[in-house]
Amino acid sequence: MLSKFASAIFDVFRRSIQVRYVTITVALSAAALVAVGGFLSLTIGNGLFQTRVEQVLQESKQASAEVQKTFTATGNTDVVALQTLVNEVIPNLEQKTANGSRKVALLRSPNQATSQFLQSPISGDLTVSDIPASLREQVAKTENKLVYRTISLESGGVLSPSIVVGSKVVIPVAGDYELYLVYDISDAQETLDFMQSTLAIGGLVMILLLGIVAYFVTRRIVAPVERAALVAEQLALGSLDQRLPERGQDVVAALARSFNRMAQSLETQIGQLSKLSKMQQRFVSDVSHELRTPLTTIKLATEMLEARVEELDPKARRALDTLVSQVARFESLLTDLLEISRYDAGAVVAEIEPNNLGDVVTLAVSGLEPLAETLGCELILKLPSRPVDADFDPRRIERVLRNLISNAIEHGAGKPVEIQVGRSKTAVAVTIKDLGVGMSRSQMDRVFDRFWRGDPARKRTTGGTGLGLAISLEDTHLHQGWLQVTSKPNQGTTFRLTLPRRVGGIFTESPLPLGEILSQRSKI
Amino acid sequence: MQKVLVVEDELPLNQQLTDLLENAGYQTMGVTDGENAFPAFQDFAPDLVLLDVMLPNKTGIEVCREIRAVSGVPIIMLTAKTEDEHVVEGLEAGADDYILKPMPSFKVLQARIEARLRPMRQSEASEIVLGPLVIDVLGHEVRRDGVRVSLTPLEFNLLQTLAEAPKQVFKREDLLKKVWGYHYDADTRLVNVHVQRLRSKIEDDPDNPKIVVTERGVGYKAGQF
Repeated sequence: MLSKFASAIFDVFRRSIQVRYVTITVALSAAALVAVGGFLSLTIGNGLFQTRVEQVLQESKQASAEVQKTFTATGNTDVVALQTLVNEVIPNLEQKTANGSRKVALLRSPNQATSQFLQSPISGDLTVSDIPASLREQVAKTENKLVYRTISLESGGVLSPSIVVGSKVVIPVAGDYELYLVYDISDAQETLDFMQSTLAIGGLVMILLLGIVAYFVTRRIVAPVERAALVAEQLALGSLDQRLPERGQDVVAALARSFNRMAQSLETQIGQLSKLSKMQQRFVSDVSHELRTPLTTIKLATEMLEARVEELDPKARRALDTLVSQVARFESLLTDLLEISRYDAGAVVAEIEPNNLGDVVTLAVSGLEPLAETLGCELILKLPSRPVDADFDPRRIERVLRNLISNAIEHGAGKPVEIQVGRSKTAVAVTIKDLGVGMSRSQMDRVFDRFWRGDPARKRTTGGTGLGLAISLEDTHLHQGWLQVTSKPNQGTTFRLTLPRRVGGIFTESPLPLGEILSQRSKI
Repeated sequence: MQKVLVVEDELPLNQQLTDLLENAGYQTMGVTDGENAFPAFQDFAPDLVLLDVMLPNKTGIEVCREIRAVSGVPIIMLTAKTEDEHVVEGLEAGADDYILKPMPSFKVLQARIEARLRPMRQSEASEIVLGPLVIDVLGHEVRRDGVRVSLTPLEFNLLQTLAEAPKQVFKREDLLKKVWGYHYDADTRLVNVHVQRLRSKIEDDPDNPKIVVTERGVGYKAGQF
């Protein structure tokens, strides 16, 4: 769930330039603000503290000198009188001002030969343990100098930052004492806190403003790019009349102008090409049609002559035979040309209906038995036990099969030709395998090209037009199927036709193996 | 001797056709112009017309309509155009059949002509009643509510075939065999177009037929009354 959410966020980030740039701007400015703010608050904090420390030391120096002076000046050696003096002087040092309080403690230095007979006065909310031991050691070692330390003092459950300043005080008779003055500096801390929070709020507002600014700035830049992307996509999809608005003189306008020029030139060129291509298709179609009437006349005239073949001498008979066979070849060429021109014009519509591929294969095979017999070739048909039902145009698929099988018979060198039919959940397939002359790699690459012949010198029994496989491929593509071939010189050739079971059905694998796929033509 | 009118603008082809037809024992007349076709038809009164689609001055389609307006004589269209509209247009204008140029051989053309000229099959019944229609088999006449409906011989044959076996569903291929006399190379559009023409003459609402009913995915049958 969480990772899904994260990946969704990442996806948005990856897809939208705008989100990315706004995020980067905000992140970088936040980092800069944190750095600057940190530096500022550190500097100001230090300054505040130093000022306070100096003030505190100044006050302590005065206080400690006065205390020392008072004790030195007294001539009293009486314990009670000394105690009274201590009790009088020390609590006087306590202060409660607007800037914070000052607490006080007078502690006897440890490790003295004389015994303690004075009570150590200490402010009410201060305890001896609040004074750090390390400070006490330092005070003990120092003469005539103030030593300080910062501590956190707890009073009423609140920790407040404080400075402890210690100094040595010598009391006549009683010995060495340490005077500690504890200053509460929470006022400085408060000032610092206030300043820091102001900085933080200001920073946050600043980041927010920067984010908004970045959003609008990137919007200005990204919007034309997005529009260009959209228009480019529409162009790619074939709406060649799509253009970008050209406003202003900036780089975006320059992009729009160049883009529009490119689109214009594309539209013109594609228009010209398609016009040319249409003219050419039209020409091929017209030529084929125009040739049909004279061809009909020649055919009928030839038939007339054939009816009188007995009246002709052998040479004239041979001429008549040539005439008959060449007229037939001419006719099939015309038919194939017309068919190809229909495909080129996109005028072909398949009449797809539910069918049994097994039946169509059987029909094609039985139609070619006579040719196979003439060439001494055995046709082996392998059908699955169940019917191979699929949706296709039976006339076109039978034509494809007839073409593939007659090719196999012709190039099969008299060896058996195996025709196998297979089915899977998503597809049906036929393989036509011969063990004949085969093809080289380069020949195989061209096998579906129009008017291409494997071996121009080879004698052709069926008088193929050179368009058969090109038409077969078009027929296959019309069904959104595959027509593939594999071949090895002198070992034979296998063609495999694979069709989706249902119209528009998707398949990823043919139900039958092809063997080594060396050249493949499938749906483009 | 049966008479065939050959309307074909290409003179050499026209001559070849008439020669071959005469060899096959028909009396022929050749016309090479669309405008002269209908007058020639009226003068010659042929038993069958071979009609090219592409003609100068008047197209074969128009000639076909002119002839159909006055006669049910069998018409076979000759066309070099294989596009659907062309063939369907010719059939809709009233042609009984069409043959593509170049035809596989003259024999194929001859077979088609003979099929069209063959006398109508004899029926056991002399009169069949199909809903509002009375089919007079002997008189080759169809009356709808007592009014005579003008059908071409082919349309009559189609209707008669369906009416004689009122429960049977005929596949298009069966009808091609029975009515047109084809045994292979069948174009089922022939059946579709002629059923449409027949319906437009005999049905109340040709878009919602009751007499000649379509059996989806199979073919046609006579309606149940």
